[in-house]
Amino acid sequence: MSSVLDVSGLVKHFPIAGQRAVVQAVNDISFHVKKGETLSLVGESGSGKTTVGRCVLGLIQQTAGVIDFQGETIGKRRNVRSRDLRGKMALVFQEPAESLDPRVRVADTIGEPLRSRGVSRENRRRRIAEIAKRVGLSDATLDQFPAELSAGQQQRVGIARAIVTDPELIVLDEPTSALDPTARAEIIDLLIRLQKEFDTAYLFISHDLSTVRYLSHRVAVMYLGMIVEQGTANEIFSNPRHPYSVGLLSSVLLPNPKLKREVSVDLTGEIPSPIDLPKGCYLAGRCPFATDQCHKEMPPIEDLGNGHLVQCHHFREALKGHEALDYFDEFQAQTEQLLEAGRRSTGTVAGQTK
Amino acid sequence: MRVLRYIGRRMLFIVPQLVGIVLVSFLLVKMIPGDPAVMMVGPMASAETLAKLRTELGLDGSIMYQFWIYLTNLVQGDLGTSWQTTRPVLNDLFVRFPATLELITLSLLLALLIGIPLGVAAAYFRRSVVKKFSDYYGLLAGALPDFWLGMILIYFFYTIFQIAPAPLGRIGFAVMTPSPVTNFLIIDCILEGNWQALWSTLGHLILPVVTLGVITAGPILKMTQSTMERMLESDFIRYADMCGLPKSVVIRQAFRNSLPSIVTIVSVLYGFLVGGAVLVEIVFSWGGAGQYAVQGVLNADINPVLGFVLFSAVLSLIIYLIVDLIYFAIDPRIRG
Amino acid sequence: MANETQKVFDTGQPVLSIDGLNVSYPVYGEDPVQAVRDLDLHIQPGEIVGLVGESGSGKTTLARSVMGLLVQPGRVDTGTIQFDGKDLRALPEKQLRAVRGKDIAMVIPNPRSELDPLVTVGRQISNVARAHLGIKRDEADQMAMDMLNAVQIPDPDRRFKAYPHELSGGMAQRVVMAISLVCSPKFVISDDATSGLDVTVQAQVLDLLRALVRSHNTAMLFITRDIGITAHFCDRVAVIYAGEIVEIAPMQSFFENPMHPYSVMLLAAFAHNPTLRAKWHKPLASAAPAHGGACAYAGRCVHAEDHCRQNSAELRELAPGHLVRCHFPVERPL
Repeated sequence: MSSVLDVSGLVKHFPIAGQRAVVQAVNDISFHVKKGETLSLVGESGSGKTTVGRCVLGLIQQTAGVIDFQGETIGKRRNVRSRDLRGKMALVFQEPAESLDPRVRVADTIGEPLRSRGVSRENRRRRIAEIAKRVGLSDATLDQFPAELSAGQQQRVGIARAIVTDPELIVLDEPTSALDPTARAEIIDLLIRLQKEFDTAYLFISHDLSTVRYLSHRVAVMYLGMIVEQGTANEIFSNPRHPYSVGLLSSVLLPNPKLKREVSVDLTGEIPSPIDLPKGCYLAGRCPFATDQCHKEMPPIEDLGNGHLVQCHHFREALKGHEALDYFDEFQAQTEQLLEAGRRSTGTVAGQTK
Repeated sequence: MRVLRYIGRRMLFIVPQLVGIVLVSFLLVKMIPGDPAVMMVGPMASAETLAKLRTELGLDGSIMYQFWIYLTNLVQGDLGTSWQTTRPVLNDLFVRFPATLELITLSLLLALLIGIPLGVAAAYFRRSVVKKFSDYYGLLAGALPDFWLGMILIYFFYTIFQIAPAPLGRIGFAVMTPSPVTNFLIIDCILEGNWQALWSTLGHLILPVVTLGVITAGPILKMTQSTMERMLESDFIRYADMCGLPKSVVIRQAFRNSLPSIVTIVSVLYGFLVGGAVLVEIVFSWGGAGQYAVQGVLNADINPVLGFVLFSAVLSLIIYLIVDLIYFAIDPRIRG
Repeated sequence: MANETQKVFDTGQPVLSIDGLNVSYPVYGEDPVQAVRDLDLHIQPGEIVGLVGESGSGKTTLARSVMGLLVQPGRVDTGTIQFDGKDLRALPEKQLRAVRGKDIAMVIPNPRSELDPLVTVGRQISNVARAHLGIKRDEADQMAMDMLNAVQIPDPDRRFKAYPHELSGGMAQRVVMAISLVCSPKFVISDDATSGLDVTVQAQVLDLLRALVRSHNTAMLFITRDIGITAHFCDRVAVIYAGEIVEIAPMQSFFENPMHPYSVMLLAAFAHNPTLRAKWHKPLASAAPAHGGACAYAGRCVHAEDHCRQNSAELRELAPGHLVRCHFPVERPL
């Protein structure tokens, strides 16, 4: 299958006003996204994942590297705002309330990308109605203003606006992190369904690993502007090789007291400043496996096969003492068992009330 | 050290800033209708006299040429002569500026004394008489013209109760004026140990200071109140309440965080009052800088006007520098 | 998270007892919004109770009611809040201030905006100690320094003199913990305190918070949107919906046998199987909670019946210490 998006050697540095130093937000990363596939960029704040999303859309100009969208190079001239690419790429924001114009009705918000492509009013109306149905917005909501909707519905509007032009690629920048868990699950279901229907590629940017596990085909773990490990979701979650991935995964608190990940990688401290990057491996200061070598030289990218890439001197040891078990899958199995077993009690219990 | 470097950088910009200000005001003043030569020699003079005078004054050259002349004189400390007072403008301003500064500085102090406590109280007691009072106060202070308040005060305290001195200048006629050192009368009196003059000076200051102070307290009150309200609702004050810090500590904390806004409004008011106090100066025959400049404008006497603008500009620059230094002292985020 | 078996707390004298609490926000020209409704909650000394709810469920209102710091125009209509034998609602403001921060402390989210930007963090800690313990500045500063050590801030001497804007989010969160624990309170309320932190930092901060609270036998109400945290952090779990506690149980019991349909739906939100989730999840997020002669959850409940829409539900103890507010609680075969 061909790649919709191919990024190689992407670097983005932001200058700091009045200083010679730069914020090294993204440092030489490469990845690709295939048609109909979801690649998740996972990382903590400051890892540069949002910056990558902006670069991919051409909203900001990369410092170095090539971004290839369907065989065309994205850059200053050709980006999501250009006439011929408009509608082929789309973005869904984190804060649904802030990304919608409060004075524009839902229908017009969804139809905006069509209008700018010059679709006739009649066709627009038909398309808006169709899309609204697909994302689960009622006809009544189309005439409402964003403030009248719940956060979950607002995000549906954001997704409808992105999908209305049937784009090849959607960049989803933390689309669920502002939502309550129940609304989050609905939005994720919706995204998965839409992807199947439209065969759209997703670049899903998130720090929420349980969501990432759910909808990703492949995962790239970012730390300080680097992709430290990437591979299929199964591979990353059940056989993580980079100490940071292991630490990140073991920090997730799943709602099941039986599933406590043994902390084999204790990431002490916090993410260093991207202005003053450490020499050698960026994780060395926080990593329990760090040796002199780690502090001196940046590790090479190792290919473990099947697209599993890891950039660590000690990738063989990172899992030592840590059984390679996908806790997320175990959690799924147990949760499903719990849900399956439960049933509504009979009325006799209710009869006992009072 | 950051502070010193900062001040140094600011100083570098002062000269070009001043040249710019002088240029703009020079052009603007030149646009005021009225020919100084005609005003000086009177309407009866012959065309010949007029032409001669114009050449002497340099009025026949181009505007840029005239500006160049003004600038070269300025560098030598010569601000020109006022044809009305026939004295060098610099000398006039050295007397008149301190008169205005003395007046507005004391007025602002009074305004602070009224505005800040009222503003803080109104912000803290949201549903009290104080809050109502300060609302009306702000409204009235904004609506009442200052010169009108001045005249009312004169009417009551001079004309009827006869407890205030006549509104005719900065010091009584019968009093020995202290020898001018700084031209700030209070300071000069103290320097000379002339208590009688000091007493008279203070007496003359009361009514105009009250006039300006009461009116200027309005904006200070409003700014204090709104900033304090915002601060009292801010996250960190809410958190201070959660920590059970005593009320007085919480209020002090909110006030400290409100200070930058208050300092800003005070500095703006200070710059504004240098010229804005002119009506009050006229009512009290104060002989201040604003009055001097207005006279100049009315009589096409350009040098006093330019001198006034220049002095005000320097004063504003100094004030803004002081304000920045105060910010530096208050806020660690600016200190960086 | 460090492994720790769940502690069981005997039913002695609770440190905090909330009984029949009703809190409402008057709305101009409409009926008041009832934010907390007939709420009972008893917390034993040293116990950590997790309170889980979605946004708007009334969990923050509950915390603020305990602190006596409701946002205007909210008001406590009825109910008692007993703390350590004192009726907090009857205490005058001045005595309440003496309790806040000393006996009951609060840990809050977004710590960087909750700290005074103009005061060094060390001073902010010592100010609280000074206000409550009546000690001299030197002594308070020393206590503050000890606290900075206790919350494991690297380089505490330097951090003492740092201003809030110079700290990272995780660091500021530790400072807030230091402030809340400096007077060794008997009870701590944590309101969504770790929600703004990254997962690796969150794990560190939670571990530390629990260790500190445990070592002082401090009780804690841990309010959160994230039901995942409660499974690893709390002794008991309470679920709040529309201002009512719908289920409260010892942590193990809750996760092994959640009985309220809403609790099950919260867990179902983590399930990847949409058909299975649909069994518990009604995708009608806008359904307003019903009140007055109906189960509040009836509008969103997949299994609601006429009986639910006509009768309000009471909290009933269906297993030891496991209380559920549902007419037809969820059953599981053994």
